[in-house]
Amino acid sequence: MSFFSPYLLFAGLSFTMVSGIVALGGRAMIFHKLSQALLAVSGLLGIVASVAVFLSPEAGLRLSIASAKFSPLFGLDMFGAVFFFLVSLASVLCAVYAVPYLRSYQTTYHLPSLNALVAAFVFGMQMVIVSAGPLSFMIGWEVMSLASFFLVVSDRSAESVRASLLYLVMTHIGAAAILAAFLLLAQGSFFADFSALVDLARIAPSWVLTVSFGLFLFGFGSKAGLVPFHVWLPEAHPAAPSHVSALMSGVMLKIAVYGFLRVMLFILPPIGTTASLVILGFGLLTALYGALYAVLDRDFKRTLAFSSIENIGLIFAMIGVSFFAASRGLETLFISVLSAAVFFTIAHALFKSGLFLVSGVVIRAFHSRSLEKMGGLAKRLPVFSAFFGVLALSAASLPPFGPFFGEWMFFQSLLGHFSLHDPFVNAVLLITFALLALVGGLAIFAMVKLFAISSLAEPRSGHGSEVLSPPSLGEMIPIGVFAVSVLLLGLLAPAVMTLIRGETAVPSPWLLSVGSADIQPSVILLLVFACVLFVWMLRRLASRVEHERVSRRWDCGAPINASMEYTATAFSAPIRFFFRLMLRTKKIVAVKPVLATNPWITSRSFSMNLRSIWMDFGYLPLGRFFIGLSLRVKKIQSGNIRFYLFLMFAVLILTLRIAL
Amino acid sequence: MTMIAALFIQAILVFLLSPLTIGLVRWFKARLQGRRGAPPWLVYTALLTTLKKQQVISESASFVFRFVPFAVLGTAVFLGISLPLLFSNGGLSHVDLFVLAGVLSLGSVFLVFGGLDAATAFGGMGASREMTIAALIEPVALVAFSAFAVVAGSSSVQDIFGNGTSVFSHPALVLSFVALVLVALAENARYPVDNPATHLELTMVHEAMILEYSGPYLALLEYASSIKLTVFLLLLGNLVWVKPSATLALGTIGLAVLGVLVTLIVGSFALAFLESSIAKMRFFRLQEYMSVAFFLSLAGFILVFLL
Repeated sequence: MSFFSPYLLFAGLSFTMVSGIVALGGRAMIFHKLSQALLAVSGLLGIVASVAVFLSPEAGLRLSIASAKFSPLFGLDMFGAVFFFLVSLASVLCAVYAVPYLRSYQTTYHLPSLNALVAAFVFGMQMVIVSAGPLSFMIGWEVMSLASFFLVVSDRSAESVRASLLYLVMTHIGAAAILAAFLLLAQGSFFADFSALVDLARIAPSWVLTVSFGLFLFGFGSKAGLVPFHVWLPEAHPAAPSHVSALMSGVMLKIAVYGFLRVMLFILPPIGTTASLVILGFGLLTALYGALYAVLDRDFKRTLAFSSIENIGLIFAMIGVSFFAASRGLETLFISVLSAAVFFTIAHALFKSGLFLVSGVVIRAFHSRSLEKMGGLAKRLPVFSAFFGVLALSAASLPPFGPFFGEWMFFQSLLGHFSLHDPFVNAVLLITFALLALVGGLAIFAMVKLFAISSLAEPRSGHGSEVLSPPSLGEMIPIGVFAVSVLLLGLLAPAVMTLIRGETAVPSPWLLSVGSADIQPSVILLLVFACVLFVWMLRRLASRVEHERVSRRWDCGAPINASMEYTATAFSAPIRFFFRLMLRTKKIVAVKPVLATNPWITSRSFSMNLRSIWMDFGYLPLGRFFIGLSLRVKKIQSGNIRFYLFLMFAVLILTLRIAL
Repeated sequence: MTMIAALFIQAILVFLLSPLTIGLVRWFKARLQGRRGAPPWLVYTALLTTLKKQQVISESASFVFRFVPFAVLGTAVFLGISLPLLFSNGGLSHVDLFVLAGVLSLGSVFLVFGGLDAATAFGGMGASREMTIAALIEPVALVAFSAFAVVAGSSSVQDIFGNGTSVFSHPALVLSFVALVLVALAENARYPVDNPATHLELTMVHEAMILEYSGPYLALLEYASSIKLTVFLLLLGNLVWVKPSATLALGTIGLAVLGVLVTLIVGSFALAFLESSIAKMRFFRLQEYMSVAFFLSLAGFILVFLL
């Protein structure tokens, strides 16, 4: 194993590249299938490579160029392997899904370029993780960003173009910030690797550390979708094809988390209390805001995108709490919350990728992304919607699914550290606890809305009798694998946690413990299922099963139709009303009298749109300011060439003055 | 061995007595309102009759509709078994307040699925309201229970009761207890959040969701809500009056059973008294109720550290 494992990594990366090249072969389906197969092989190799690292954590994997003066450019350590595993798993399943899924979109997308871009995208993410220095890290980061930019625009609609341009601007400001921070730390040298950066960071003056921390937080935060840098995310993720959305939301956001943690844990010296509170504050704001908009949004994929924002907020809040604990000297809290954050990151990658794959099938079935037109999937596609239900419930962090145990660990570690006699720590933990409990409630609402409105009752679009195109086997398998994996993640949570924490001594493979509290996920899982089964058997004993008839709904004697059902707008109306001070909604009810003689007979029309306060009060005024400024500056462009020469001379003088 | 026996005694007692709780509340309520009232054990007859009836399934309903009664009653059974209700150290270890809140939410979520799946406007309305209540009451339950957990030094419900923690253990817990009472009223669809006896569809929450259920499924759902009410009354009762710990001595068991009976009678009288003396809140005023509950629980939690 140890002999060929470095080559595994190399082979994995090369298969991704070959997949991209093969995809460009032509429009024939064979190239499409071949490129996805190669991508799947690359993912499988990546999984094997990560497992190899899990088995021997100390060694890691290294790819070194023998004679070069450089230290190893690429390598995979324990921390990277966790994320590499996620990228690999998601890319295998998305490749399997893409084979039948893209067949129905041959006219919408240009398949060769789409597949090549997906390969480049995956390659960029893999490269970010295996990089051991800023140079390759930034190259991988840019490949990932640019490829995903082109993927967002792949259906070439005006809406997608707008979304992708917003994404391009935001992601490049973020990338510039990360690059600037690396250069600042490395004192301008681009070739220092991460281990050299550690030494440089140790002796760096404190202002350099502060500025680079801010730049890193902004750079990685804007990629991860931290509020208020999130505006691109709910536009860009839904615009991409669904298997790409799965990669973007399920995995690319994790790459941002990876980058942030890599820098924070391995490069920068321990940060202070203030800096950790900044991270925590951004995380809490993001979680609350994302959860509220996930409840309110009426678009299937945008709801998922907002839910991703909420989950990223939760992860950053966890990271903030753990650094806060470290800065206050609470070592156990630091370890337990940080490992809970990594665990929740894994869980989020699984359920969110699964839900985005689900969204592809749902949107194809209804020919719309709007929840207002959906309904009735559970009756028409029962197995599919059972998987969907499992993924939605796990995204709501309900027991007995995997994500619940991530939140359990987090809340349990907070609770375990309240009794210390430090009022400041108590206050911070208490606010975090209460706010995230509220966010948890709203997250349940959002996921229930998503599942119940799209899957239950009758289709709201009117063409209810239309036969929906069932998902093919190639689409069902990846969705099913994700659904089973969130259940397994719950069951195996103790084992996964020992892996994350790097412990060797395990008290019991089924016991998950945080401080003095412990839980047995397997017992909870079995008990929930046993109770339901027990009730089911009792009912069969107590009453006759076939004693029933199928009839119309209770309709008060007048026929009712699908237009009378509750819609997504109506379903989330109470939350919209309760939180109206924090939201901006524009509701217009227009009343037009039909008869001049009778004021009671009127026709009414209703329209509502959700505004974003960050757009209305942040980005749009900022944009107007810059456009206004540019118009002012334009006045000096008189067309007089001597004036331009003078300006250039002045700039030269100024530069020399600064440089010398 | 003692624990398993205690578990069985608790399960049998809770599952047998829960319809009586509903009956008692109705009887007390009728008495307080000057009516004669049906005998408390009528609920048993009603449940058994419903169980025997033919059921009508909506033609729009999917497999989810059929799964919901089992899931809802399953979560109620989970609560009835796993929490220490009869003895202070009964129930299952490893069930802490987060599992309790999670399983409660799981039950609400499935009830919401059932309400929406029948494709009627009433079901949808009830579902939307129930989901709002469940989503906003979950943080209150978590924060209020956490105050007890901090005082008890453990988040496991078994330890909280086993350590003899009650509302008198710390002055701040009074606030948390009041918040928990508000949680219990909201979770069990009682006044002022919901009217369990309403016949006006527009004021319903819980009843609107189960409107399409009939026959055995309706019986399962009604039974689940009675178990949930019993569990909540016993939980709140245990926070006021510390129960003995489990032994197989006949005296202890008798004392525990007596404790359960007294708790249920006092609890249902208190509930009936409350429901007879206040009006139901308008649904869109519930944010005040939720805010009061949330800030009460938060204040209790903060004062645990300050006092």
